[in-house]
Amino acid sequence: MYQYTAAELSSMLKKKECSAVEVTESVLGRIHAVDDKVGAFITVTEELALQKAKQVDEKRVAGEALHDLAGIPIAVKDNICTKGVGTTCASKMLENFVPPYSATVIEKLERCDYVPVGKVNMDEFAMGSSTETSYFKKTRNPNDLDRVPGGSSGGSAACVSAGEVPLSLGSDTGGSIRLPASYCGVVGLKPTYSSVSRYGLVAFASSLDQIGPLGRSVADVAMLYSAICGRDNHDATSAVREYPDFAASLQADLKGKVIGLPKEYFGHGVSDKVKDAIMKMAHDLEQQGAVLKEVTLPSTDYALNAYYIISSAEASSNLARFDGVKYGFRAKDYNGLVDLYEKTRSEGFGDEVKRRIMLGTFVLSSGYYDAYYKRAKLLQQKITAEFHNAFEACDVLLTPTAPDTAFKIGENIGDPLKMYATDICTVTVNIAGLPALSVPCGYDGALPIGCQLIGAKFSEQNLLNTAFAYEQSVGGFNRIPQIR
Amino acid sequence: MIDIKHIAKLSRLCVTEQEEEKFAKEMENIVAMIQDLPQLDDTGALMDPNQPMILREDTAQQHFKRDALLQNAPQTKAGCVVVPKVVD
Repeated sequence: MYQYTAAELSSMLKKKECSAVEVTESVLGRIHAVDDKVGAFITVTEELALQKAKQVDEKRVAGEALHDLAGIPIAVKDNICTKGVGTTCASKMLENFVPPYSATVIEKLERCDYVPVGKVNMDEFAMGSSTETSYFKKTRNPNDLDRVPGGSSGGSAACVSAGEVPLSLGSDTGGSIRLPASYCGVVGLKPTYSSVSRYGLVAFASSLDQIGPLGRSVADVAMLYSAICGRDNHDATSAVREYPDFAASLQADLKGKVIGLPKEYFGHGVSDKVKDAIMKMAHDLEQQGAVLKEVTLPSTDYALNAYYIISSAEASSNLARFDGVKYGFRAKDYNGLVDLYEKTRSEGFGDEVKRRIMLGTFVLSSGYYDAYYKRAKLLQQKITAEFHNAFEACDVLLTPTAPDTAFKIGENIGDPLKMYATDICTVTVNIAGLPALSVPCGYDGALPIGCQLIGAKFSEQNLLNTAFAYEQSVGGFNRIPQIR
Repeated sequence: MIDIKHIAKLSRLCVTEQEEEKFAKEMENIVAMIQDLPQLDDTGALMDPNQPMILREDTAQQHFKRDALLQNAPQTKAGCVVVPKVVD
């Protein structure tokens, strides 16, 4: 049963063709069978999942009106707080941290009666592109176990790809949902900044972070997005607006839709196989009535630099809270308060987190602020304006999600610059606060290729519709690889 | 040259001599990459006027019980967090 999409399971549950307990047992069985190899989960909440599933079945028997997600197993990235269930950020610093509260997205899913199956692996504090910086374990790409699943939401993408759950939540600061979705061959949505509450998401770069869904179909991702979006008083940046039912409003009509192809995303460093797959998808959309148009976003070449300045600056400030005093890891031997801070942080954080904290501290330090942070913030405005212009002429932009397919475990971990360059196609979207969706658009051998659809703010329905039309024409994205 | 010892101190991190050399080299490379930014006009505000922040009413609410919060503290005594002596 684990191989079905969430929408299929939801319909089967409604028709009482199966029970939530059966669905949950099936996915738990799959987790037991393959997670030794895939390594997606940090915590599996087996008892809690079965208990919740039983409650859903009882509610259904009692004739209660239930949400479409009722009884659907969902995995959650381990930087989203879950009351009573460890939330580690894949760091030694939070190894034993059990949140006394749940994130707003979790409370919303609880009201939908979802089945919490566990917490999934990630790069430490969401800093990385391969899930290799996790303190606990390596997660492997289900399509090729020698390769990375991408990052930082590598666990969220791998568990969906491997059929361990139909849906998961990830977070995306510079591509952390879309890159792993691309590498693992699943659908991943980075929503418009401010559409999903960040309350209870452990902060990395607060002006860029956004929680979003991953699944094996566009409808599933639309369904989970509908369940988590909306204004929240606990997040002052969350937008005040109404949202449609994205899954119910899906339609595959592409007639007259203008699809922009920004030429900067097809240049140097993007592999031919990836370019070919994206263009093949573009022509498929064209055949369905869309109009292709070449556009230009000239500041793209500087975006990665601005991203690493802004995100590291915010991280250096956000991660100052991990000091060994109120919660989290505390070093054993110290001599006074400053020594406690320094030893705790030096022993509790991994190298990548230290690099980002130091980079952020450097760009904000006296004498350097104007040269780095201020210029990056000005470039952010320029990039936003360029996107705005592009959306005057286009409905959707089509780009690669990543310059290439998944790389080998260990291949880039010793070279931070090579690792950072994998985010080149995704960071602009966070800088401009836009929504973007990654969908599978082909394979290079066993390795999936992802296409990124970028839209104007709050145009998620349009992105989902475009992806839905493509999904229909290729016969669906739900392909679970053989794990071997 | 980036003074890693100084940056580490500001970041409340300590680095061994071996790490200092490694981080210094990596940081030099990263900074060489990120410093390539265009010179842009800086008139114009850095706030997004279309996304004003709306703050909730400043009213006291009971969110957490003390015990629940202290469960995650590394060291506690008599309902308080224990820290090293900070004043003589």
